[in-house]
Amino acid sequence: MAAYLVSVLNGLAMGSLLFAIALGLSLVFGMMDVLNLAHGAIYLAGAYLAVALLPGDDVGMGTFVLAVLAAAAVGAILGGVLAGLTRATPGHLDQALLTLGVSLVVAELLSVAFGEEVHAIAAPAPFDGGVPVLGETYPAYRLLVIGFGAVLAVAVYLLIERSRFGSLIRATVADRAMVSALGINTGLVLTGVFAAGAALAAAGGVLAGPILGAQPGLDEKVLLLALVVVVIGGLGSVRGALLGAVLIGQVQALGTSLLPEYASFLIFVAMALVLLLRPAGLLPPRTAVRT
Amino acid sequence: MNRAAATRRTTLIAVAVITLLVAAPLALGPYAVTTMTRMLAFAVLVLGVDLLTGITGLPTLGQAAYFGAGAYTAVLVGLHITSDAMAQALAGTAVGLIAAAATGWVAVRARGIVFLMLTLAIGESLHQVAATWPAVGASNGLAGMPPITLFGGPPLLPAGFVYWWVLAAAITVFAAVTLITRSPYGRTLRGVRDNESRMRALGYRPALARYSVFCLAGAIAGAGGALWAAQGRFVSPGDLGFEVAALALLSVVIGGAGSLWGPCLGAALVLLVRDNLSASIGGHGPLVLGLVFVAVVFLLPRGVAGIRHRRESRS
Amino acid sequence: MTPVLELRGLTHAYGSLRAVDGVDLSVLPGERHALIGPNGAGKSTLFATVAGTLPATGGSVLFDGQDITALSESERARRGLLRTYQHSSLFLNCSVLDNVALAVQRVDRVAYRFDRAARRFGRTETRARRHLESVGLIGRAADDAAALSHGERRQLEVAMVLASQPSLVMFDEPTAGMSAAETERFADLVERLPDDLTLLIVEHDLDVVFRLADRVTVLHLGRVLASGAPEQVRADNAVRSAYLGSARTDDLFNGGPR
Repeated sequence: MAAYLVSVLNGLAMGSLLFAIALGLSLVFGMMDVLNLAHGAIYLAGAYLAVALLPGDDVGMGTFVLAVLAAAAVGAILGGVLAGLTRATPGHLDQALLTLGVSLVVAELLSVAFGEEVHAIAAPAPFDGGVPVLGETYPAYRLLVIGFGAVLAVAVYLLIERSRFGSLIRATVADRAMVSALGINTGLVLTGVFAAGAALAAAGGVLAGPILGAQPGLDEKVLLLALVVVVIGGLGSVRGALLGAVLIGQVQALGTSLLPEYASFLIFVAMALVLLLRPAGLLPPRTAVRT
Repeated sequence: MNRAAATRRTTLIAVAVITLLVAAPLALGPYAVTTMTRMLAFAVLVLGVDLLTGITGLPTLGQAAYFGAGAYTAVLVGLHITSDAMAQALAGTAVGLIAAAATGWVAVRARGIVFLMLTLAIGESLHQVAATWPAVGASNGLAGMPPITLFGGPPLLPAGFVYWWVLAAAITVFAAVTLITRSPYGRTLRGVRDNESRMRALGYRPALARYSVFCLAGAIAGAGGALWAAQGRFVSPGDLGFEVAALALLSVVIGGAGSLWGPCLGAALVLLVRDNLSASIGGHGPLVLGLVFVAVVFLLPRGVAGIRHRRESRS
Repeated sequence: MTPVLELRGLTHAYGSLRAVDGVDLSVLPGERHALIGPNGAGKSTLFATVAGTLPATGGSVLFDGQDITALSESERARRGLLRTYQHSSLFLNCSVLDNVALAVQRVDRVAYRFDRAARRFGRTETRARRHLESVGLIGRAADDAAALSHGERRQLEVAMVLASQPSLVMFDEPTAGMSAAETERFADLVERLPDDLTLLIVEHDLDVVFRLADRVTVLHLGRVLASGAPEQVRADNAVRSAYLGSARTDDLFNGGPR
């Protein structure tokens, strides 16, 4: 029972991180059909920023929050640049190739700067211990991450479903041409979402640091998980990204605890199953009627 | 230029290129020959990617998985069953085909950028499986494969002999893909690329065409993987990673999607930068290739799709 | 005689809008049947629903006496129900010959063969060239379809459909955007088609309709307003009064929207 609970909690922590990372990928794709293959590299940039800013084992909460904010800023800048580059490129394949090139460059620069070894990142001081959960000791930091995920989900829900900016985003996903025909500067909205999504991915890199660390190749793993989350949830859907993230978090945690060798195989099976039953994903976004 | 003259010219160029390739080991050192062997094996993978991306219009980032499946199969066959290169190549091709058939149906339901996304997800999943599955050495990969033999002969130790075997196999694949693009089936694939709904209105099942070509490309990638293993006698999860898939797609893009010899040259160039020039620029091959990606996108007129229209040859 | 095509209460609704609303129609073998009506009458939707491009939301489609309502568009095409498009839908980056050959090789069951180069499939190539000849495009066989003029594209469309061995061809506004000379050539082409081929034509050009059709159906707001011989329809009271209150149907037909 306790072991099962630990797995569920691990899955929720992973799901929280995946939601933060996949959200930007999903919205950018839903709004402008851009597949941002540099998303994993942006995440990795955030993780290495944590390595640079948080040396040693003794990290205060203030420093940690600062690192998260700094990563978000760096992510936003990278996202803004990518938005500018992709908007200057015709054709979706070209845009994907462009982000692919950027991801190779960023990942290589990072491994030049930080080497090939695995870096561990310490959890901030008040959360670096364990708390008793049903007689087992569970890392407090992961509970913090779950809390962050819950707060993020509520905040994003309010922003997307309740605010004017959110309705603009939803309308752009549904029918981009119509929104720009109404005289709204979709370019600005798109750049904003691109930057915000990248900021979340980079911040996710810092937040995931104490759990996953930082090492070359992590960008691919994270990009894969985020892609699967987006595909399972439905391209461009916020609620889908949340559901997909929670689901993949659980599959990943369960797989790691039961069949560690086949965990990644389980991820593929989950994706194939969802696509077999619901080709458009679990919660596809509402689109305008097209005739 | 009339067709007979054009055919004669093409034949002449082909004969000249093949002669040069065959003669290469006589003039070059073992290091250069080894490099060329790897290029040829990689070019086979790229031909499969071109069949999907250039001919059928399905951009893929998942072919490295089937390349890896072929390489792992060849090494396993070499370690446990036979050192016969022909058997290894056939086994690699078969496993590439099976792996593509087992996973491809997920991807071929989509097209365009979503197809790209799904192939990437499939490829990366298989990559992670290879990196964690103890039966195939997990992250260490598989080493210690004995040298290949041909027709029951002695082990082919000199680099030149392995090169000739890989060259012969690569030329066979090239000829086969050329035939495919010129056959009625190739015409069907171009039809799917150009206008899928029209294909449906003419009574075709485009999904069937997409699935079949996906399996075919998987088999070709598997063959490439087996050839890759014949040279390196070692396989690791890195051989089916994201980077290999990305470089294969890059080769097609810089070589000209739809043309066949262009992507092969692209493959040689890309591998040269990654493996050989890398050392002279401080090991930053991927950095250069990333910049090449960005440059290619900005420098090609009308984008990547433009090459197809410019270079596609008429018969 | 069994009708080639029979629609029973065929309906297609976009949400609450019934663009095609309970249409009954039967087309006999060899008939040249024209479908007319103002813009928004539901002609294109009816076409797409019969061809299987759009699913029917009610009613049924019978082809050669068999219910094909549940069949896919490609399965209908394999049974001989072919359509052209209002806006030419071609394989623009393929050669003109390839466009027609794609239709022929499917009929010849060689579309998935890769054991020989396409030009060695002699029967298929000859038939493809003959179809290009019949629409006067043989001289452009090696050109890209993208290089064709608007009129030539419509001719290529016709060649592709005829090359698919149809028993029923549905032409969707075949002369739209054609010059007078091109329209004339198209009408000639249709008149020369074999008698056993059944045609269903949506057309705005009433001269073409009354020259080619031996039955005319008028569609209005998704329903059949009148159906019969051309002269009958011209004189029909329902058509006369229901349309715009026009006193003379001639006004309606001659001044109708393009």
